[in-house]
Amino acid sequence: MSTLVIAPLLVALVTAILTLLTRPSDILQRTVSLLGGVAYLVAVAALFDAVVLPLGGESTTLVYQVSNWAAPFGITLVADALSVFMLALTGFVSLLTLGYSVASVGAFGQRLSYHTLFHFMVVGVTGSFLTGDIFNLFVWFEVMLMSSYILVLFYSGREHTRAALNYVVLNLIGSAVMLVAIGGLYSTTGTLNMADIARRLAEPAAYDIALLPTLGLSAVLFSVFALKAGLAPFQFWVPAAYRAAPSPVTAMLAGVVKKVGVYAIVRLYFTIFAAASIDIGFLGITGDSFLGFFGPVMFAMAAVSIVLGGIGAVGRDDVDGILAYSSISQVGFIVLPLAVAATAPSEAVRALGVTAALVYAFNHGIAKSLLFLASGTLKDAVGSDRLSDLGGLADRAPVLAAGFLLGALTLIGVPPLSGFFGKYLVFQAAAEAFAAGAAGAGLALAVALAGAILTIAYYTRAWNAVFWGRPSDLVDAALPERWTVGSGDVAMTDGGDDGLKRLELTAQVTVVVALAVAAIGFGIGFEALFGAADAAARAALDTNGYVDAVMHGPGVGLESGGGGH
Amino acid sequence: MIQFFLAATLGVLFSIGTYLVLRRDVVRVVWGISIISQSANVYLVTMGGFDGLAPILSGHGASGPAPSDPIVQALVLTAIVIGFGTTALALVLTYRVYEEHGTIDMYELGGSR
Repeated sequence: MSTLVIAPLLVALVTAILTLLTRPSDILQRTVSLLGGVAYLVAVAALFDAVVLPLGGESTTLVYQVSNWAAPFGITLVADALSVFMLALTGFVSLLTLGYSVASVGAFGQRLSYHTLFHFMVVGVTGSFLTGDIFNLFVWFEVMLMSSYILVLFYSGREHTRAALNYVVLNLIGSAVMLVAIGGLYSTTGTLNMADIARRLAEPAAYDIALLPTLGLSAVLFSVFALKAGLAPFQFWVPAAYRAAPSPVTAMLAGVVKKVGVYAIVRLYFTIFAAASIDIGFLGITGDSFLGFFGPVMFAMAAVSIVLGGIGAVGRDDVDGILAYSSISQVGFIVLPLAVAATAPSEAVRALGVTAALVYAFNHGIAKSLLFLASGTLKDAVGSDRLSDLGGLADRAPVLAAGFLLGALTLIGVPPLSGFFGKYLVFQAAAEAFAAGAAGAGLALAVALAGAILTIAYYTRAWNAVFWGRPSDLVDAALPERWTVGSGDVAMTDGGDDGLKRLELTAQVTVVVALAVAAIGFGIGFEALFGAADAAARAALDTNGYVDAVMHGPGVGLESGGGGH
Repeated sequence: MIQFFLAATLGVLFSIGTYLVLRRDVVRVVWGISIISQSANVYLVTMGGFDGLAPILSGHGASGPAPSDPIVQALVLTAIVIGFGTTALALVLTYRVYEEHGTIDMYELGGSR
């Protein structure tokens, strides 16, 4: 049973290697890659079924001890409701993005390395979600980042090399900082196993742990996760990197890879470090746990992200730029309920806050990848994503326009799309904290409201400029008449085989439509999504359950190691 | 005594690395990153302590203090391998930037749009 935990990891790894071996045949390589994506989704679904929907009804935690080395000594993989929730998003988005990639990335690029890198990136993401060891988290981050470096650089033109240079340098510094923080945490707590850290932090005297340095080191670690999530003040790499990467890669970076940072924040700060109780009283921040310190910090970063990203997006004059800045703003919306949860006066509000963040993260993963893919199709069909070059596409490409509109409406939060519930929960968490008298909750409500208005502003602007009005010259040249699936002649800007090009564009639009259908589907069937997110939030906040499953669960033979270090 | 010496060394290494990362020349930036990640490794090793015996000796009859923590050395080995790969990538990227832009001066490369 517990071997199921490594199934997604192995599937992605084997697929990555197979796509390397099948390079001589284009068809075979693409088939293997797509089948690997399907197999990954199946493995994730099986794991989801085993963890969230076991026979008893309550969600459970599956633990896999690599080579049967018991918990604090060996490498531990943990699949609880939170991990599989994020994995489900990864499996879903990565399969659709992969389908889009086959139709959009050039044949040479695909043959060279695209599929291998893509699957290695999925390996890194999966490992990050599953690992129960803080140093392994660093290693999986590196696996993920190494693939993403090359994928951002993929087209290696002028803009791309410059953007990739910034991205690589910044993340390498981030990795060094992460290593320092992990080394420090090992030195203060005497262990690398996350569950063991939580157990020891709960009784610091027994293990001779100084809590204040631990808090400082966890704050250093927090900055690294904020960098990965693109949270202000570490947001500046986002627009350039998102512009430079191929659109399906950007869809993955914004939809899935960013969420690894969010997941790490939830897992480490709400499950692990929350175990410690410490009296904090400096810089005007008071509290009795690590979360009491991180609550205001998260709030400040989220608020700045929401406002800065929103204003930035309103001022951009290209679709990708708007989406990239929107992404900064939306991550703020994911972290805002986490900040509310961290300082929440009651357990119920805390659980609600984390649930809101997870639902929002899921919706953002689907909607933002939809929008980046739609923007990619726009660039493929018309040849530009600058607002001044575009116009009237609702008339010329109605299906694509409908997909884009649904994606934008999801992020704005219009019912019955799934985004409505995400936004609703964010407001509900803030409002309930406000009603319970939590300090700063009123401010959180105000920021969320401002952010929501900015979201409407920049998506309206993008929609008006790109899809409404008279077709611009460029649009007229590229799409002389209405283009719907299977009809009309399309004069393509980049030459080549028109029939093949049309087939590729149709495939791309199909993926966009599939994501739009998902946004509607998760909105109408929100009960299921909410149930999964709620189980994930409860698993994230259940420190004792996590520690028990890892340290004393079935298959753990050795009693845990002695105290001290 | 050795703790103070290493703490001072780490301070110097990190400051040299930070100084280089803030230079205009991309090659120096890569050197800076390389130095910072190596100092992180040195920092990791110092976290294991220095007073103990080599772990392999303690199992074979040698008398002395308790063995020092071997985990940090394993961590550092992993980190060195990762650092090697990323430094190589950063250098290749530097060359590629030079090919595309004809310069490796950060100011001349300009900011992103």
